[in-house]
Amino acid sequence: MLKLEGVTKRYKGASVNAVDNLDLEVRPGEIFGFLGPNGAGKTTTIRMVVGLLAADRGRIVVNGHDLASDPIAAKRSIGFVPDNPNLYPKLTGLEYLNLIGDVYGVDGPTRKRRLDHYLGMFELTSAVGDLVQSFSRGMKQKLALTGALLHEPPLFILDEPMVGLDPRSAHLFKSIMREHVHQGNTVFFSTHVLEVAEQLCDRVGIINKGQLIACGTMDELRRASGRAGSNLEKLFLELTDAGGDHEE
Amino acid sequence: MRVATMRNRLWTLYLTLLKDHYGLSAAKYYYFKKRQRTWEPLVIVAGLAPAVVMGMVFVWNFTEKLFMAGLTFGQPHLALLNGALMVSLAGLFFGFFSVITAFFFSSDLDMLVPLPLYSWEVLGAKLAVVLTGQYGINLLILTPLWARYGLLAGAGAGYILSAIVVFFALPLLPLSIASVLAVLLMRAVNLSRHKDKLTLVGGLLLVVVMVGFQVWLQSSLGSGDPEVVMEQLLSRADGLIRAVGRVFPPSVWAAQAMAYSHTGVGWLNLLYLVAASGAALFVLYYLGEKVFLQGLLAGMEGTKGSGRARKVSLSAQSRSPLLAVASMESKLFVRDPGFALNGLIGYVLLPAMALLPMFGQSLENNPFELLALDQLPPFVLSGGLALYFMFMTAMSMIPATTFSREGKYLWQIRSLPLSIEQIIAAKVVGSQVVNIIGCLVGAVPVAILMGWSIWEVLLGSFLGTLLASALAGFLALFDLRKPMLDWVNPVKAVKSNLNAVVGLLIGVILGFALGMLMFATIGLELLWLIPIELLAAALALGLAVRFMVRKWAPGLWKRI
Repeated sequence: MLKLEGVTKRYKGASVNAVDNLDLEVRPGEIFGFLGPNGAGKTTTIRMVVGLLAADRGRIVVNGHDLASDPIAAKRSIGFVPDNPNLYPKLTGLEYLNLIGDVYGVDGPTRKRRLDHYLGMFELTSAVGDLVQSFSRGMKQKLALTGALLHEPPLFILDEPMVGLDPRSAHLFKSIMREHVHQGNTVFFSTHVLEVAEQLCDRVGIINKGQLIACGTMDELRRASGRAGSNLEKLFLELTDAGGDHEE
Repeated sequence: MRVATMRNRLWTLYLTLLKDHYGLSAAKYYYFKKRQRTWEPLVIVAGLAPAVVMGMVFVWNFTEKLFMAGLTFGQPHLALLNGALMVSLAGLFFGFFSVITAFFFSSDLDMLVPLPLYSWEVLGAKLAVVLTGQYGINLLILTPLWARYGLLAGAGAGYILSAIVVFFALPLLPLSIASVLAVLLMRAVNLSRHKDKLTLVGGLLLVVVMVGFQVWLQSSLGSGDPEVVMEQLLSRADGLIRAVGRVFPPSVWAAQAMAYSHTGVGWLNLLYLVAASGAALFVLYYLGEKVFLQGLLAGMEGTKGSGRARKVSLSAQSRSPLLAVASMESKLFVRDPGFALNGLIGYVLLPAMALLPMFGQSLENNPFELLALDQLPPFVLSGGLALYFMFMTAMSMIPATTFSREGKYLWQIRSLPLSIEQIIAAKVVGSQVVNIIGCLVGAVPVAILMGWSIWEVLLGSFLGTLLASALAGFLALFDLRKPMLDWVNPVKAVKSNLNAVVGLLIGVILGFALGMLMFATIGLELLWLIPIELLAAALALGLAVRFMVRKWAPGLWKRI
């Protein structure tokens, strides 16, 4: 569903790569957790996958579409929720959702059905007619999530989705990720919350200093580290070895 | 909940950006849904309507005069040409800043880029939003002009049809040129680590180029008294049409398309205009696909530190809180092109207008010729310079938006262990460092080229610094009264801020009042009194501001 081959990114003026020759494959129908310390390269990777940054080298393929040669088809397969959704403050929530619906070509009846479902689930139905600027951070996050799911994307990408969410909303987010995968889609998300990754993910990848240092199921990671019974936190700390901050 | 049926995505994008840009959704939400602040649109309409009506009446009457004058020389369509040229040049000049803000400095790009939209669709929708605003302004200018011309010339249906096509085609070319310049500029500067600095320098240089263009246009039309110019041009066989046509042919095509709408010449000119506009749009479309996204992505990437091992002096000297905040104030302003391009433009514009004509013509043709010292009695120049410093402080919008520009970052300064009096003092110092340097950068070359006395310049700068700083304190306090903190795009914090407009008005009124005082003093032949008057005004204003800050600022600061 998502394939990165030798993807490299160095920011202008930096002396080291933010993402260094990254190879990664996210399979259809799985929840993939992308972990790493601050500045490891998680957000840079995600921004390259969704087209917000151009890779210096390498190839990104989304649902069979090469992002460089066929960006529109690749983007059509993605639903993206950034860590801090920057939505038009002077639009109402519904106006924003209608923009997304039109851009992705979601027809009226389907749009209504899905909006009823997600807005009801997020308890946003009564607020969706209000201006986005009046929304709390969590409400904006839920609105962005609704927009990202409106076209039922084969690949759902979330950057730090749990930041700033109350426990109930965080629970909802997790439910939605599971529901999305059960429908045959794929979820790729970055997080610092290792418990969430441990509970939710089919596989995890750990990136440090721009390089993928571990990738697999929890059992595979434990076997690779030779620590049976170890939890993700211990594995993470051991693998990343309290490395210094790096360019993100 | 009303869910829209599916629409064309480009159309939806355009409508969404339009609603966001002009606050249409917010207006509908507050005025109709919440029924709050319903007095606002009434006040705005009541405030603007007289000015708009007066402006339209002026255009109507001016058109008649131009028509009659042109008729004498067999060129009655001079009025049409005048209108077309005016809106085209204004579109080119102001369009550049509008498009560069919309294309590259808007906050929605993080959201738009991941959507499955072609670059040209994003570019096109954003250009269409700017274009819509341009159509609105053109409508107010061109409707009375074209209507009056049509009535005087006894124009028929062909004229109306041609006018409709010209109306829609006319702003396309200038805005496309402005867009192409903006896209190329951003592609070039985004390649650099010094993106913000280059954007600022590039933008300001472009202002100089545009002023130069207008000066060249003016000089190509001749010099001296406008009436003489017009007479000269009209008396020639080819007249103004050809003279202007050399500079900006589309305005000639537009004028001739309408003037000769009853003949093939008119329709041929209309074809030229439409074809040129189409070609410009095609170039923009091509650049949109090839260059826009790359420039945008490079800009969004930001820059990182060099990563090279650099020795950082940890034993840097500590500064007083006042200097620290002052330094932050000036740095944050000049480092953000959104603030700086809008705030510092005056420091380039006025000196450019004064200096550029000197390179092409003699001083006699310079609109600033009166400022040459040999024509001015002593102390008048220093007085004028002092007023220039004061006016520019208001025009730069730095003190008038000092709290507004903090926006969502206001918490940082609020959490500092400083009183509001200290904060205002520090911010005034920070803003005035920028303003005074800006004034000197503009004034010194003019002073050298015009041969001003160094003592006059020094005295004027001293008085100007005092006056401008006192005014800056007042404007900062005024901004504290109701800062505009709710913004995402930094340009809005300065350009769409009512405090900045009021600040400018205050600067104009104060400048006018002091100017009248100077004028009266000159009339009484008490020239030595001018610096004393200005010094007294600066001290009085400074003391009044100090009193007001002590009395009101703490309460206002708590209320935010």
